[in-house]
Amino acid sequence: MVYPADAQLLARLLAGEQNAFRELVVTYQSAMRAVAFAIVGSRNADEVVQDAWLAVVRNLEGFQGRSSLKTWLLTITANTAKTRLKHNRREVLLDDLPGPHGSVDDERFAADGHWLLAPHAWHQDTPEALLTEQELRECLEKTLGSLSELQGSVLVLRERQGLELEEICNLLDVSLSNVRVLLHRARLKVFATLEHFEETGQC
Amino acid sequence: MLTCKALVAHSSDFLDGQLGLRQRLSVRAHLAMCRHCRLFIRQMRLGQAVVRTLPEGRSAELDVLAARLAESRHKPH
Repeated sequence: MVYPADAQLLARLLAGEQNAFRELVVTYQSAMRAVAFAIVGSRNADEVVQDAWLAVVRNLEGFQGRSSLKTWLLTITANTAKTRLKHNRREVLLDDLPGPHGSVDDERFAADGHWLLAPHAWHQDTPEALLTEQELRECLEKTLGSLSELQGSVLVLRERQGLELEEICNLLDVSLSNVRVLLHRARLKVFATLEHFEETGQC
Repeated sequence: MLTCKALVAHSSDFLDGQLGLRQRLSVRAHLAMCRHCRLFIRQMRLGQAVVRTLPEGRSAELDVLAARLAESRHKPH
């Protein structure tokens, strides 16, 4: 197996070790939820994830280690979600819902494309320092919650789960250019929230 | 010559390594001269790190799920 850490965990899972299942669930649940969210939406996501977990457990012996465990789990999740959708496949929603603090839009720039309202230095310059503020954490949760299901999922899969853009395209059946657009818009909203908080000290 | 506005529009592609050589060079050339855009890119990176670092509540649900899955391995299907 190409992924030694996966091989170790797999052996423990096959042996039925309780802790190994906990580790598996804790490590991969959020990524699986993000995939399910993007494909079937929030209403059916939990059910899809449950079904996917059951399929995973049933098929543990079949895992060949040709991909990482993560890729395998996310593929099963995506397939479970897509089966669920069957014929009433949603249009890819590129809707851009307004973020609580906006984005970085045209008004920030002069007609010649230069900054009109240039970014200012922030008080904090590490994520840890920024996140010590309880209010900012809550504020960011709000911003992330304001993203469309697809946009939020793409952001989570890229920034938190570290997936390559191509992997995200394949899992979600979204074109690369759409993934790039979704990701960019989501990041600008996060940026706008951080900037707003750093400038005003409130959400 | 790339404008600041265009740089912002390309910023995610720049951060994700999605730009072709020519575009990448024009972004770099712009950044070399423009401190506002350098700051913007730094803050975008910080935003990425913040999203990555944001703590996630670990719910008791997951323990229940793990127990169920372990259980289902022991039962004949």
